[in-house]
Amino acid sequence: MPFHVSGLTKRYRHLTALDEVSFSIRRGEVLGLIGPNGSGKTTLFECLGGVLPADRGRVLEGDRTLTAGECRSRVFYLPDGIAPWPAQTVRWTLEFAAGFFAPGSSGRAADAVAPPSPADVVRDLDLAPLLDFAIGALSKGQRKRVLLAIGLLAPQPVLLADEPFDGLDLRQTRDVGRTLRAHAASGRTLLLSIHQIPDAARVCDRFVLLSGGRVCGEGTLAELSALAAARRTGTPGTGDLEDVFLALTES
Amino acid sequence: MRGLNLHRKKSPFVWLLEKEWRELVASRSWWILLLTMGPLVGVAFISAVRTYAELSGLNGTAAGVGEAFSPLIGVWAPTFSACEVAAAFLLPFVAIRAVGADRQTGALKLELQRPMPAAARITAKAIVLAAGWLAAFAAPLLAVLLWKSYGGALYAPELAAVAAGHLLNAGLTIALAAATASVAEHPSTAAILTLSVTVGTWILNFIAAVHGGAWERAAGYTPTAMVAEFQHGLVRLDVALTAVAFAAGGLVVAAIWMRIGTSIRRRVHESAALAAATAAVVFACTFATASWDLSESRGNSFSRADEAALRQLDKPLRLEVHLAPEDPRRFDLETRAISKLRRTVPSLQVRYVSATSTGLFEQTSAHYGEIWYELAGRKMVSRTTTVEGVLEAIYSLAGVAPPAESESDIFRGHPLAVPPRGAAAVFYGIWPAAVVAAAFVVRRSTA
Repeated sequence: MPFHVSGLTKRYRHLTALDEVSFSIRRGEVLGLIGPNGSGKTTLFECLGGVLPADRGRVLEGDRTLTAGECRSRVFYLPDGIAPWPAQTVRWTLEFAAGFFAPGSSGRAADAVAPPSPADVVRDLDLAPLLDFAIGALSKGQRKRVLLAIGLLAPQPVLLADEPFDGLDLRQTRDVGRTLRAHAASGRTLLLSIHQIPDAARVCDRFVLLSGGRVCGEGTLAELSALAAARRTGTPGTGDLEDVFLALTES
Repeated sequence: MRGLNLHRKKSPFVWLLEKEWRELVASRSWWILLLTMGPLVGVAFISAVRTYAELSGLNGTAAGVGEAFSPLIGVWAPTFSACEVAAAFLLPFVAIRAVGADRQTGALKLELQRPMPAAARITAKAIVLAAGWLAAFAAPLLAVLLWKSYGGALYAPELAAVAAGHLLNAGLTIALAAATASVAEHPSTAAILTLSVTVGTWILNFIAAVHGGAWERAAGYTPTAMVAEFQHGLVRLDVALTAVAFAAGGLVVAAIWMRIGTSIRRRVHESAALAAATAAVVFACTFATASWDLSESRGNSFSRADEAALRQLDKPLRLEVHLAPEDPRRFDLETRAISKLRRTVPSLQVRYVSATSTGLFEQTSAHYGEIWYELAGRKMVSRTTTVEGVLEAIYSLAGVAPPAESESDIFRGHPLAVPPRGAAAVFYGIWPAAVVAAAFVVRRSTA
């Protein structure tokens, strides 16, 4: 069942962080949320993840508006820049994540995906050498991979990952991208906030362009390219996400 | 390399408990609390036992009498007072760390995504913090074992009262620190808020001592006053219920403010409603009159014969006391006589009258220092503030003969002229070494 975010608005006193944000998420797709710094990506994720109250807006599953509790049972949000449980080892943290977030009898979404095998997640994200290290002793990229593992072990069918490639080197970015795509292929829906456009272009099926708290484009690269071309009359669509992004956010 | 152990089937709450425990043993603040408890208790215990021994005739000093030989007042009250210091200045930081770290590290954002009542989350923290405090309680329990090894007398009910008072006090501290850590964005703000509340209760005690009246009644429910009563073996239901109500209120505030996905306005409204509900519950608790004197010396009670005679008073007894709040005679009268009357006489009304707080400039006033007694329309005045004088006045007014003093009612005390042998080694050497070793082993085993 597709999700639809409708009219999501969030204000901080005089600043409008999100302004009537609406877009759709299809099951099993990798949707990239792209926008410059301060465009509202993290605020949008925090509102969807239930860790920040939105002023207005709804999340719909099909035609039905989801309650906050239902939303929480369907969406798992992986924040960027956190270092949870720094004194605990990676091994215990993953065991905790697999046990604590394991689907219970209540609040489980009907279309919850079967969480992947933790052993597979450890292998795919190359975490085996890190299992006995404390989270606080890890580098930024290593910590990011542990956080991704926690997200992948969560049972919610939709995973929101804020800057999943931040801190990863080129090889790791490619490997993680492959892993995320594999999980999407197995039915997991991924919404990734990415500010490195080449990374987004490599991993995502569709894109939502966010600028100044507003959605300024949604679709596949071809659709966005056509939209950009239509707005810049006389300029042919280049098919390059960076150009499309610049064209749509300028307008 | 060892793989993940994924065969442990536990409920989310048990997972949380395990997480909180691991976080507690990983925190330096808790180990510092444990480390400090030994020397803190040691100083208090060694000093108390030495004084007790001297009063009991050690080194040829003159032996004292009566209450001086009660281990409750002579040893346990000062020894356990180390727990009060730790609860005021160390425990808040442990609790703030336990609650605030989740927000600081971002762990709260992850944990909140497991659907679970916020009350369950804060309960897990409170249980683990209470367990952490119980571990620290091993230091005063060691003092009990040492005392026993010296041949000292132990009276379990009074010792239980002292321990219960400090556990309640710790519960209040944990709840307060959890609430401030949950409300404040930063742990340092939470620490300042917690210490401000603690200092605020001390200020309340000071104001009560100066102004008396409603301040004095309110100050009777501060943690300091509560602990003081428990340390004297007096367990008052209203005080205990009030402490439990405040602790529960603090934990619920913490639970409310943990829900970071809820709007601040809603959390403020919920907190205000909770404050009103807690105030109502606390007010209701103050009407509970039951109390128990668990001290072996019955230091908070009249003799059994006097109690039986006073309980026979079927008319209201009114006292009008013309003494200022800071007059030491008023303190004597209140603590030695009126507090006991309140627990015994079926209907007692006490009114304090004074124009100033110190009474220094009222001494020339004709009525200053007078205590007026009224019972069944009869009145009499007295100036004596001793227990014997107060009872004599009441019996005279009631027209009954004072009951005969029973030999069995007299507490003879338990003198013990033994120095605190080995205590210094235990509290200044073995305890710190054991804590450091335990920290090393436990942190390694959980890492």
